[in-house]
Amino acid sequence: MKRKTKEAIAGYLFALPIIITILTFTIYPIFAAFYYSFTDYNPLNARNLETKFNPQEALEFHLGVFQTDVSSVDEIIDFFDLLSFIKYDVGVNLDETKEKIILENFDTQKLLKDFVHGKLNKEMKLSDFMSEYLKSGKKYFKRYIPNFLGLLNFKKMFNDQYFRISLFNTFFYTVIVVPVQTFLALILAVAANSKIKGVKFFKLTFFIPSITSSAAISMIFWMIYSKPGILNRLLGYFGFQPIAWLENPNTALPAIMVMNIWTTAGYFMITFLAGLQDIPSSIYEAARIDGATPNKIFWKIILPLLRPQILFVATMGTIGCMQVFDQIYFLIKNMRNITISFYIYKNAFEYGNMGYASALSLVLFAIILSLTLIQRKLVKETY
Amino acid sequence: MKKVFLVVLTVLMVSLSFSVTTITISGWPGNPDEEAAIKAAVDEFNATHKDIQVDWEPIPGNYLETLKTRISAGTAPDIFYVDVYFFEELAGKNILLPLDLFIKKDNFNLNAYFEPLVNAFKYNERVYGIAKDFSTLAFFFNKEIFDKYGVPYPTSEDTWFDLLDKALQLKRKGFETPLVLAADFNRVIPFILGTGGSLVDENLNTALDTPASRFGIKFYVDMVTKYKVAVEPQEVGAGWIGEALGKEKVAMAMTGPWTIGFLKGSYPDVFKKIGVVEMPSLIRKVTMVYTVSWSINRNTPHKNEAWEVLKFLVTRGQEIFVERAGVLASRKDIAAKDTDPIKVPFYKGAEYAYPWKVPTPTGIFSIANDQINSRLKDLFYGKITLDEALKQIKDNYFDWVSGK
Repeated sequence: MKRKTKEAIAGYLFALPIIITILTFTIYPIFAAFYYSFTDYNPLNARNLETKFNPQEALEFHLGVFQTDVSSVDEIIDFFDLLSFIKYDVGVNLDETKEKIILENFDTQKLLKDFVHGKLNKEMKLSDFMSEYLKSGKKYFKRYIPNFLGLLNFKKMFNDQYFRISLFNTFFYTVIVVPVQTFLALILAVAANSKIKGVKFFKLTFFIPSITSSAAISMIFWMIYSKPGILNRLLGYFGFQPIAWLENPNTALPAIMVMNIWTTAGYFMITFLAGLQDIPSSIYEAARIDGATPNKIFWKIILPLLRPQILFVATMGTIGCMQVFDQIYFLIKNMRNITISFYIYKNAFEYGNMGYASALSLVLFAIILSLTLIQRKLVKETY
Repeated sequence: MKKVFLVVLTVLMVSLSFSVTTITISGWPGNPDEEAAIKAAVDEFNATHKDIQVDWEPIPGNYLETLKTRISAGTAPDIFYVDVYFFEELAGKNILLPLDLFIKKDNFNLNAYFEPLVNAFKYNERVYGIAKDFSTLAFFFNKEIFDKYGVPYPTSEDTWFDLLDKALQLKRKGFETPLVLAADFNRVIPFILGTGGSLVDENLNTALDTPASRFGIKFYVDMVTKYKVAVEPQEVGAGWIGEALGKEKVAMAMTGPWTIGFLKGSYPDVFKKIGVVEMPSLIRKVTMVYTVSWSINRNTPHKNEAWEVLKFLVTRGQEIFVERAGVLASRKDIAAKDTDPIKVPFYKGAEYAYPWKVPTPTGIFSIANDQINSRLKDLFYGKITLDEALKQIKDNYFDWVSGK
């Protein structure tokens, strides 16, 4: 073997743990989500065919007689209802196609004969039981395979009121939050970069919200926004009527926006601060000698030179806003104000529509991807 | 050779006699009293059974979501809580083990339990769980506030209009927020059924738009929007109804026995001023019953052992529960021993209570519940009219309950 190949093998061996981790926890789920978005996958069906049961007991219960009291198939066949037996006593989850397969192919005679001869008193898996007594169509009962729906999940979105509402809310949220938080972060960074007293204290104060857990922040803002809360008390001095900010469907989303801007602005400030410190001081000096006002310096020098950072902040901000979840999850109790990622969560884990949730997340992925591409087209990278 | 055989045999015997089956039971963690009660029950079971050991592993946070995920991964506990609200969904998907065979073999007496609670966990005429306890809604009021404003106390015989009258009196005399209500569909159900209305028709389609049901919903919403005598708990800075009572921001509330434990623990001074009567009625006396069963995972490898544990949990286990956690007993003989006067309105309620589940063709109601709640909220804030809301519900109902 060549030295180079040997080296490559050794290299891959060293990298193997992380490669396997990424394959199983990142690459595979992405493809799985893609596949599930075309199906009606329901997690509650996943283990169904692996359940074990005792066919004799199930039949005894179904027929209402003990095996020992039966001597021939004719005695019991009239009391046997195939579909109800399979569905409730054996416990196989059936849809219409599977019901048809069973009605056409199930070997009732064989089952009842085995019952009469006492061959059924043993624990067995549902999948084994089905393949034993089905004449054909066994493959449908080997393991859980969700039905392939084609584009049905995507078609359904067009008529789904909450898909529209949540998508609109997400866009509304992003359109407001991203520009405001980017601009605010920039202002904060410029302020933190200046040589005023106590600048370290301000930097710290601005940054702390972004490293605090969103659950804790949500709780604090829940108190601020509540009807007897501090915000209403402050506004009361100016003669405003108190509002339950988070309960009122008109104010809930803007209230969350304000909170999120406050939380993330400090984080992006750090990015801008790094960019600002990269700008050589000679440029400022030259500008000042030419007589530029601080205002002009900001617009004509700082802003253009921070373009890569602005692109980065805007992109990351957009992705973060499109995926906003935890604040909505903690604070919003109203379906009118949900965002798309919260709706995905609801469908996947509460409604059991894993397939539809996968389709929704695919759409969200497509939206974020195209938004990012558009942003990169609009703001050319210059480094 | 014989010696070797003997040694092997003894080793086998010894290891067999020491083989212990562990049964994992799970639910949501309760308040400290409930946790202590369940631990006491588990300890007692473990002390009296050598071959079966029970392990209590509560699931904190989103119970149903976590449980569903664990079911699909095949790692669900052997026995777990099933709320009647999502019972049909799990039973319909063959997640739960039917208990009929065990009940027959052991001559287990189901008649010892309150009938509505037994029926609550039946699906296709099979029993999929036994009620661990139950809660009904009753009417709480703060005596001190009523005394202060000179308004007569609510009674168990009050009609809805007595309730409204007393609330209006309080409001006129200067108490701005007499009643607390939640924009929760299940809290509206007593009002829908109390007029003789119904939730679904014979085809399992929604019946909320029938005149009687509509009247009940209208009364509930009107208390908030038209008469302005009721507020949501958040309006007075409380997280939920019990907290609004505890902070003495409201004079009246309709809530369950869990509020008693909460008030005792967090607002002991307020608790002394609280009176509890039965729910007000109109044509029919109705309240809600919320109940939770112990059910066995159909996938458990230890079905017989799990049944032994379940049997203990709903008999002696329940006794410990009722004594220590202050819950209401689903077993009649244990309920008869329970003489706490404050629990009387709740036990009375069990006679005419409606279990919190809405029958649907698929057993799935969660989507419809979210949708209806969202419209209730809109109604509370005057965003839509009642007729618009009912029309939207009627038009979309079948989609919501189809579970697709």
